Amino acid sequence: MKQKIILILAIAIFFALIAWMIGDLFTGNSEPQKNPFDYGMKALRDADSIPDFTEAVSLKPTLSEITSISTGTDGRIYIAGRGGVEIFNSSGHILNRFTIPGNATCLSYMPDGNLAIGIEDHVELWSPSGVLIAAWPAADTASVITGVAATPALIYVADAGKKIVYQYNRDGKLLAKIGEKDPVRKIPGFIIPSPYFDVAISPAGDLWVANTGRHKLEKYGSDGSLLISWGETSMAVEGFTGCCNPSHFTFLRNGSFVTSEKGIERVKVYSPEGVFQFLVAGSESFDEGTRGLDLAAGLNGGILVLDPSRNLIRIFLPNKKN
Amino acid sequence: MTNSGIDMTASLFTNFCFAIQRFPKPEFESGYIEPETLLPLPRGEMLAWLDVAVLILALSLASWLILKKRSRMGVFWLSLFSLVYFGFYRQGCVCSIGAIQNVTLGIFTGNYTVPLVALIFFLAPLIFTLLFGRTFCAAVCPFGALQDMVAVKPMRMGASLNALLGMIPYLYLGMAILFAATATDFIICRYDPFVGIFRLNSSFGMFLFAGILLVSGIFIARPYCRFLCPYGVLLNWMSRLSWKHMTITPAECIQCRLCENSCPYDAIDYPQTKKDPIGRRKQVNRMILLVVLLPLLIVGGAWMGGLLHQTFAGVNPKVKLVRMLLTTDASKDKPEPPEIAAFRSSGIPQTQLMAEVAAIERDFLIGSRIFGGFIGLAFGLTLIGLIRTPYRTDYIPNRGSCFSCGKCMDYCPVESKSCTVNTEVSQRITENL
Repeated sequence: MKQKIILILAIAIFFALIAWMIGDLFTGNSEPQKNPFDYGMKALRDADSIPDFTEAVSLKPTLSEITSISTGTDGRIYIAGRGGVEIFNSSGHILNRFTIPGNATCLSYMPDGNLAIGIEDHVELWSPSGVLIAAWPAADTASVITGVAATPALIYVADAGKKIVYQYNRDGKLLAKIGEKDPVRKIPGFIIPSPYFDVAISPAGDLWVANTGRHKLEKYGSDGSLLISWGETSMAVEGFTGCCNPSHFTFLRNGSFVTSEKGIERVKVYSPEGVFQFLVAGSESFDEGTRGLDLAAGLNGGILVLDPSRNLIRIFLPNKKN
Repeated sequence: MTNSGIDMTASLFTNFCFAIQRFPKPEFESGYIEPETLLPLPRGEMLAWLDVAVLILALSLASWLILKKRSRMGVFWLSLFSLVYFGFYRQGCVCSIGAIQNVTLGIFTGNYTVPLVALIFFLAPLIFTLLFGRTFCAAVCPFGALQDMVAVKPMRMGASLNALLGMIPYLYLGMAILFAATATDFIICRYDPFVGIFRLNSSFGMFLFAGILLVSGIFIARPYCRFLCPYGVLLNWMSRLSWKHMTITPAECIQCRLCENSCPYDAIDYPQTKKDPIGRRKQVNRMILLVVLLPLLIVGGAWMGGLLHQTFAGVNPKVKLVRMLLTTDASKDKPEPPEIAAFRSSGIPQTQLMAEVAAIERDFLIGSRIFGGFIGLAFGLTLIGLIRTPYRTDYIPNRGSCFSCGKCMDYCPVESKSCTVNTEVSQRITENL
């Protein structure tokens, strides 16, 4: 009798296994499967530390598809986008707007008060009143102009297509190419996997370039020599991650770096030596997938973030403890 | 060394010295769990041929040990070797059981060539079985060896229950062929219970499956081999036609009945000396009824299979994708399933997918009808087998279901050379009687 019970149980278990197989085969995968190769960015987006800045106010330009921002020494805010430029005073009142022939991809306030604007396949210099001063084409048909910066005498143009920075004089004469791979001069070259390639002039007058594929910011001399670089690959808030970051950067008046990233959207402040200092805004502050967070520094320590997803200029101010 | 050789060496050396990391290494220290890679890793060609050589040698040795040497101990040690080599070392791949699907896919789809090694693994055990009985099951199959280790308290099951459970391998074989022929899935591999043990790497569900199967195998000896293995169906057919087969007694059976309960797999046919035990007329009537029923069972099975073709087709990834496309809520609240996202990014028009799915469903309709007919035929023949009472005077292994493991041989007191009774065993007979 006991044997019979054991046998019946064993057969029942066996049938249960068969039932499980049938159930799994015909219904088991009806639910959408989790992608085992999913990078799981959501968890990383949520892992940011608490920001040291707070969003104080936002500015709504009338331009559509805003792409670039710069601030002048007088606190004016210059915004470029689809087919135009708008100029606001530090209080957010519009001062001027003018049209440009094309869509601006980058903008820089020049030390003489004029504006250098990268427009798809060429560069234009404009006065704030809307007078075209100079214009010249990109160096190559494959060029994708994504960054522009100016010293009193020179204009630097970052070309994501050719992965090079061009040095021009104010008349548009090409003077030098900066950042070409050169093992002799120990220049590793730019790795630019996506059209985010920024360039800026520090308050000390030095040229800095974002080598996004290497997750580094690199300082170059006017002769094209690589002087110094910093930046580390890390998903932690102190580093840069993804294929190519930081996508944009600018300087505070004290020489600190302000950087923005895509993928895990965040804006951060680093000391002039490249040491992480503050989180301005974490990914929770932005729409998922936002790209092209251009930056500018305000007069009073505020940081202006161009948010193309919301078409806003968002101004972040440091918390009181900072 | 030539100049060009020197240049090349220098160039390689230089490149090596100055090689720089093109991209930063990905950083996976932030909770990212790397997906498990497939096992086993691809095998070198020479080593794959070594596997073939080991298979042929093992089959030859098993056949010799069973038919010529009649050594149960030899079979045991060989099965242990097979468990280690084909199981734990080769991690259950290539496997003769799973090779059914490779061969089927190769036959039914033009764009798949069956690897020669897989073909040999499929054919060699069948050929050996056709010659010498199921010696593959006895000592070469790692699945059988593993289950043999745990069958410590096997219980006898009635003929009807054996026959009923014995239908499952036919269903499994039919479905495996149907899904492989339509390039849908390799379900034998998907539900391979022991490969996870061999690889020490499987999902919890499959480990549980294997564990439960092994636990039930304590009481039902070799449950996978007897009531699941689809390859066993083919081996069963081959073995019935085998040129030679293991015998319980090496000479004339002395009707001592010592072997009567020796087979843990219920694979011994008892003597049937009474002709027509249920009466000749009744026997003939039953046989006529079943012979008449057989075509009906085949047609009925085919009809049932046709009815189920949509269910079977639902296992196909493309059919599943279309059904998912038609039923998935496009709202933004839910993330899009990766299958749909992958399809959308492929750029293939939905109409093309629909046309492909219509063709797949047509194939399933035909395949399901054949499958249903096959099951009807198997069921009918099983019923006929149950009512047949062939006349025999000795205890003999059932050629179809006997694994040729040789366990029963040890119980036989007859010695082959002199045809005399072993005195030690004779004592056991006396005690038994």
